[in-house]
Amino acid sequence: MSERQLAEAFVELADTLVDDFDLMDFLHQVTVRCAQVLGVAAAGVLLTDQRGALRVAAASTEQTRLLELLQLQTDEGPCPECFHSGRPVAVADLSTAADRWPRFVAQARQSGFASVHALPMRLRADLIGALNLFGGVPGALDERTIQLGQALADVATIGLLQARAIRHHETLAEQLQTALNSRIIIEQAKGVIAERRGVDMDEAFNLLRDTARRSNRRLSELARTVVDGSEELWLTQPAAPTHASIPLRRTDGGVG
Amino acid sequence: MLNERTMRVWAQVGKQTQGAPATLAHICAAAVAGVNVDGAGVTIMTSAAARDVVHTSDRVAADLEEWQLTYGQGPCVDAFAAGGPVLALDLRSAESLARWPVFTPAALDSGARAVFALPLQIGAIRLGVLDLYRARPGAMSAYELADALAFAEATALMVIDDAAGQRPDTAELAWQRADPTAHQAQVHQATGMIVAQIGTSAEAAFARLRAYAYAHDRRLGDVARDVVERRLRFEPDPPLESHEGDEEMA
Repeated sequence: MSERQLAEAFVELADTLVDDFDLMDFLHQVTVRCAQVLGVAAAGVLLTDQRGALRVAAASTEQTRLLELLQLQTDEGPCPECFHSGRPVAVADLSTAADRWPRFVAQARQSGFASVHALPMRLRADLIGALNLFGGVPGALDERTIQLGQALADVATIGLLQARAIRHHETLAEQLQTALNSRIIIEQAKGVIAERRGVDMDEAFNLLRDTARRSNRRLSELARTVVDGSEELWLTQPAAPTHASIPLRRTDGGVG
Repeated sequence: MLNERTMRVWAQVGKQTQGAPATLAHICAAAVAGVNVDGAGVTIMTSAAARDVVHTSDRVAADLEEWQLTYGQGPCVDAFAAGGPVLALDLRSAESLARWPVFTPAALDSGARAVFALPLQIGAIRLGVLDLYRARPGAMSAYELADALAFAEATALMVIDDAAGQRPDTAELAWQRADPTAHQAQVHQATGMIVAQIGTSAEAAFARLRAYAYAHDRRLGDVARDVVERRLRFEPDPPLESHEGDEEMA
């Protein structure tokens, strides 16, 4: 990826941080950008639940296998280790880490991943979560790519801060809880959509996200109306085509 | 990891119950002792308009619920509306006064200085708020906040099971049931699927999922996986008598 494309990716993420931006969609976009810019197979954001565990906030794809791999790390894996030490964790070859994290490694390899990195999400002294990167082939990310990854982890952190600043001077604790609850609403809505439309969870998420973007609404707000049944109309329409690529701005074209 | 904190919270509730089935009063009393607050109150809201104060630990806590109900403003009202905690660290601050101009002086007058309003919620399921107050200003420590959030979660689950007619657990049983799979994404996805299958609220769907797991002595995450992978469907209006046979394995 060229410097110019990189710069564009960052500018477009920053550009999303307008007044009533959608935090959950933003975190999703950061993970998608990670996969594209860093050349990894998949990425996820985990946030602290402030009770000693990490919880999934966003993932580059909503495939069940990736979500399971991320949520497995409430117990063991590179993200808890990164979160507790505050330092990046790099495993160039997962086959060497089976003793360290037996369940995580088994499931990661089964899902077709060969390497994993975890980068801390930090706000001054506080650690708030970790950015998880999965590679399809063995190999450590080079120094420059790690730096870029850390920059994207920082962008995700800024997103949380921005959401907090907009909403009544919330404390970070308040914002983290709200974000994690938003994630639960999205999961519940995926279930409603999957059942109504007979689609899998990945497709249900795409449908939800596309509808939110088309109607210019927040993902978690639309999800809530889906779950409480106040918004059934679009669920009974034939499925709209879902987009494989994700335009960050609808108004002035996509990204290269 | 989940269990250490959950165990501690239920052990504190157990000190209050002395072996009897746990109630909201027990949880409030345990929270007051456990996270160094002076009082606690639980308000259940079926909608923004319909609220019910179900327990308060003392007069100040009762006043706080009363002011918020009467004036329609305050940390608890905001926590319910916004879907996240609202931590009012010092009611004597200009910010508090600006945000809740009528509630703030009334609450100060009653003797509260800091209010921590924690929503009782699981995603789109919004049940109410656990309000904790202190007569002194200042934030909770990270440790206290973590336990307070665990108390709020315990309260939420109790309210859900109670509304579904489940017999209340003793603190010991509740701890034994603490389920490491309870936070998995599939649990929430399954809740959504059951909403669509039986045409009910998310709260009722989640209660049905939990009741099924209890009745069959299975972990919540495992039952949820059966639902998500379409091996188990829930049917509307089960007969009241039986636990068996009201759901169908596909």
